[in-house]
Amino acid sequence: MITAELQFHRPGSVAEALELLARHGDDAKILGGGMSLVPTMTLGLARPEIVISLNHITELRVIAEDAAAGTLRIGGTARHNDVIASPLVARHAPLLADAARHIGDMQVRNRGTIGGSVAHADPAADYLPALVALDASVVVRSTRGERVIPAAEFFIDVMATALAPDELIAEIRVPSQGTARGAYRRLTRVEGSFAIVNAAALVRPAGSGASVVAIGGVAGAPVAVDASTAVSAGLTGSALAAFEDAVRAACPEPFEDLNGDAVYRREMAVIHARRALLAAAGRAAAGVTV
Amino acid sequence: MQTTIKLTVNGRARTVEVDSRMILADMLRDQLRLTGTHIGCGTGNCGACTVMLDGRTVKSCCVLAADADGADVLTVEGLYTSPDDLHPIQQAFIANQGLQCGYCTPGMILSAKQLLDANPDPTEDEIRHGISGNLCRCTGYHFIVESIQDAARVLRGEASAPSASITGLPASPATDVAG
Repeated sequence: MITAELQFHRPGSVAEALELLARHGDDAKILGGGMSLVPTMTLGLARPEIVISLNHITELRVIAEDAAAGTLRIGGTARHNDVIASPLVARHAPLLADAARHIGDMQVRNRGTIGGSVAHADPAADYLPALVALDASVVVRSTRGERVIPAAEFFIDVMATALAPDELIAEIRVPSQGTARGAYRRLTRVEGSFAIVNAAALVRPAGSGASVVAIGGVAGAPVAVDASTAVSAGLTGSALAAFEDAVRAACPEPFEDLNGDAVYRREMAVIHARRALLAAAGRAAAGVTV
Repeated sequence: MQTTIKLTVNGRARTVEVDSRMILADMLRDQLRLTGTHIGCGTGNCGACTVMLDGRTVKSCCVLAADADGADVLTVEGLYTSPDDLHPIQQAFIANQGLQCGYCTPGMILSAKQLLDANPDPTEDEIRHGISGNLCRCTGYHFIVESIQDAARVLRGEASAPSASITGLPASPATDVAG
């Protein structure tokens, strides 16, 4: 039961939501699917005075492609199952759908939103490493205007982002994967729980940009490790070993909790980064479309 | 803060005055007296409060009632018209003893409906993944899985519904006290 009094708003347009945010700023909290915010309020850990729901703004739930720019545009309140089912996501950013399939359970995927997950910025959230690997941007809006923030800069620390109190996430903008191939791997003890560590790999063909593995669950924000050298060397023993050393070096002080100490988490990060990289490279070699 | 919402619950139009702090599960139970929706953890983990919102299962403890304005809600009560005319999934849970204490059952049944609506012939693995958002602390899930397999056969027209009735159901779920 939520005990703290609150004022609830359900604006019908982005402009109306931005006006409310401009007026209430720090006292207001944006409500997406509510998968994290509502339980947090029920537990009394969040006590916002004003809640602004985005669930009645149809324009925010659209998934579209910008063919000229070669980008996919996912509205902030697209549900996880919208992302998973979208033919446009399958065509332009299948890595993102791969990651989304692992979120929570059916009920959570039905209601939870990509913007909510990105704004909440749990360091082990499934989307985060995928967005960093894909070089995606977070499009945020306020009455002051629009900012397009690269995912690698948007995620700052544990549940800390570049989002200002008067801004909302309007869109996630993802460059089309094109001929690049991705894969997502995660470690978890129980289906439905957050990952202990997770990794998203994107392997680009020679001459079309860097290959990368982004790793979550080890630091406050996703850690990106360049895999281009390992990929161009054919992911052979020594090149793969050098990549694994680079992952270890990129995770100097992993989280420690009941799920694992630093040494365990670092090694799990190495293993899942390697598995994601090999799976993505396998897909690239096989010429499969996802 | 009080707010008025209009929504459809089990096919019936409703206008409800709710406190903006109220979760959908409490509104269904306390204001509409539809107590088939259970609340277990209240934090989105157990799935006992699962209902369908606009045709998709959600955990109604994680939805503010005020946010359900305009929504179409289906609860376990909306699946049957009389105790003699239960939904095939409900009949299969009774016939296969897909429950012990019964607390998780309404949510389990709606998750089964979501699964079978999209996938009429699921594998056992798909069933187990489909109900992964619903915890049962009694059964070990085995009879629940068998219940869903049985219901799937009936819904595909490959078997007739088992004869199953149960005690304690409201005679007419559509007539409740509010609204």
